[in-house]
Amino acid sequence: MNPHHHSSYLNPNSLKSRFTKNFLRSLIKINKQTPFPCRPTEMFQRCHKVKTAADKSLACAVGSRRVWSRAMLCKIRNRALRRGPQKPPSVRRIIINNRTMKKGFNCLKEKMNDDQEAGIDQTSKLRKLVPGGEAMDLCNLLDEAAHYIKCLNTQVQEIHDAERIESLGKD
Amino acid sequence: MHPCSREMQGINYVLNPSSQIPLQDLQNQQHQQIQNSPFDPSSSSNDDFLDQMLSSLPSSSWADLKSPWDLNPPTSLNIPINNSSAKPREDETPPSMPENVGFHNFDESVILAAKLRQHQISGGPSPAVAAAAKAMLQQQLMMATRGGGLPQNDVVDGSSFKSPTRGDGSVQALYNNGFGAGSMHGTGQASNQSQQHFHHPQEGSLQAQNFSTPGAGAGMAMNQPQASGSTGGAPAQPRQRVRARRGQATDPHSIAERLRRERIAERMKALQELVPNGNKTDKASMLDEIIDYVKFLQLQVKVLSMSRLGGAAAVAPLVADMSSEGRGGAGGGGDCIQATANGGSLPRTNSNSTQTPSSNDTLTVTEHQVARLMEEDMGSAMQYLQGKGLCLMPISLATAISTTTSHSRNPVLNSNHHSLLHSNGEGPSSPSMSVLTVQSATMGNGRGDASVKDAASVSKP
Repeated sequence: MNPHHHSSYLNPNSLKSRFTKNFLRSLIKINKQTPFPCRPTEMFQRCHKVKTAADKSLACAVGSRRVWSRAMLCKIRNRALRRGPQKPPSVRRIIINNRTMKKGFNCLKEKMNDDQEAGIDQTSKLRKLVPGGEAMDLCNLLDEAAHYIKCLNTQVQEIHDAERIESLGKD
Repeated sequence: MHPCSREMQGINYVLNPSSQIPLQDLQNQQHQQIQNSPFDPSSSSNDDFLDQMLSSLPSSSWADLKSPWDLNPPTSLNIPINNSSAKPREDETPPSMPENVGFHNFDESVILAAKLRQHQISGGPSPAVAAAAKAMLQQQLMMATRGGGLPQNDVVDGSSFKSPTRGDGSVQALYNNGFGAGSMHGTGQASNQSQQHFHHPQEGSLQAQNFSTPGAGAGMAMNQPQASGSTGGAPAQPRQRVRARRGQATDPHSIAERLRRERIAERMKALQELVPNGNKTDKASMLDEIIDYVKFLQLQVKVLSMSRLGGAAAVAPLVADMSSEGRGGAGGGGDCIQATANGGSLPRTNSNSTQTPSSNDTLTVTEHQVARLMEEDMGSAMQYLQGKGLCLMPISLATAISTTTSHSRNPVLNSNHHSLLHSNGEGPSSPSMSVLTVQSATMGNGRGDASVKDAASVSKP
C-alpha cells in the first residue's frame, strides 16, 4: 500500500487527489454559506451537509464508472431536489433504479441463485449497504463492494488527514 | 414450400440434424409453451425438468396423436405442477393408450421424435436418459420410414410408469411401443430398473441399426452411447463435439453455473484482502465481516464529518447512541470512532485545558454530576461529558495511557490524571464501577497516537 500512497500524492489524477480537491472546495462553500453555528440544530445540519459533501465529492471523484457511484449521485441529487418541492419517496426510488431496471427478470432469477450461494440475510444486507446494490447480481455486487470499500477507505483517510492538518494549524 | 408449422419444422429438423435454425425455432416454441405454465421453483434443476417434461410427454403426445394437425400448442403439454399430481394421471392413461398408440402417420412419430429432441436439448437431461431418448428417437424414425405403421403394443407395462426415475419409465414405455411384441419386448419388460436402462437402448439401437439405414446422426448416436454409457458420467451427444470430463456435464447451464461460481469466488478473494480479519474460510462469515466493515467505514465517515466542524455538542448524541448500542463489544470500530470524535472535539477544548489547574474543584463537581447522570441515563451522562470535552474510560486503560504519554507535551494531563484518580477513590459512584474521567488532551500528538489514547469505552459491572 505504501508505494501507492506516495505515488498518489504526486499524481494529480488519482482518486485521492480528486476527492480531496472536491471535498475542500465544498467545505469552503459550506463555510461561506453559514457562519459557524452555535445552536445544536444548526450544528447538526451543518454536519449533515459536510457528510453529504464528502460523499458527493467521493462519488464525483469516481465518476460514472461504477454503479455505486452513479447510484449515490442520483440519491444525492434527488435528495437535493426533494428539499425544494416535496416529492414522495416513491418517486425517488424509481429514479434511482431507472438505470438498473433494464435487466428485468434476469436479475430476479440470478438473485434467487445468489441467495442460495450465500446467506439470504447477508446478501440483502450488503445490497442495502452498498449504494445501488439492490438491482445487481451477486457477482457484480461483490465487485462493487470491493471498489466501494477501497474508496471509503480513501475517503476516511483523507478526511482524517485534513482534519489533523487543520487542527495542527489551529494550534 | 418452407415448412412453417411446428410439426413440419420438426420433420425438417430430424431429417437435417445439422441445421441449427429450425432447432432454435423449435426451442423457442417449446420455451414459450413452457413459460406459459406457472414457474415451479421446486424443480429448477435440469433433471427434474426433464422428468417433468418426459412425464408429461406421454399424455401430451397421445393428445397430439389424436389431432396431429392441431396447430395450437397442446395445452396438456403444460408441466404439471408437481410430479405427484402427474403420476395418477399417467396411471390412468395407460389402459386407454394402446388403442391410440399406433403410429399411424409418419407425421405423428416425427412429432414425437421432435418433441423428445426438444426436451432433450432444452432440458439438459441426465446423460443416460438423453442417450436413451436420442436412441429411441432414431429408432422411431427408422421404424416409421420403414413400414409406416408400427406394431401396436397391447401391453403397456404399467409398472414402467412407476419406476423410480420416471423419465426412464416413460421412455421405456415409448420404447416398448416402438418395438411392439418383438424380441425387444421381453428385454424391455425386464429392464424396469434404472441401472439396466443404459444398456437396453443401446441394444435396441443395435437392432435398429440392422433394420434400415438410419437418419444422419443415428450412427453416431449409436456408437457413442455404447462407449460412454458404462461410465455413467460423460455424455457425448453428436451435436457437441467436445467430450466432457468425467463427472462434469457439457450442457450450457452447468457450464454457466460453474463460471459464475468461479467468478464469485474470485471476487470473494479480492474482498478478503481488503477487509481486515479476512482470514475466514467460510463464505458466510466472510460476508459478515464485509458487511461489518462497510458499516464501520460509513459510520466513520459520518463521525469524521460531524466532528470536523460540529464540535462536541453535536457529536454527543451520536456517541451516546453508540455507547448504548455497542459498549465493549464494538471492537476496534467503536473505540476508534469514539476516539476520533473526541479527537475532533479537542481543538475546541484545548483552549480550556489551560484552566485546568484552577478547576480541580470543578472537576470534582463534574464527577458528581456525571455520577448522578449515569444513574439515570447513560446517554445523557455521555452527552454531558462531551459537552465538557471529556470522555469516559476504564481506569486500567487510563493508567496505560498515562504511562505512554509521560512524554506528552501537556504535562497538565498527568497532574489532572492523578488528582482525578485520587478523588475517584472517594467518589460517590459505586466502587465496582470503574469510571475515570480524563481530559483527553492528547490530540496534538498526531493521528496514530490519538487513535490509541483516546479510545473510550465504558465498562459496566
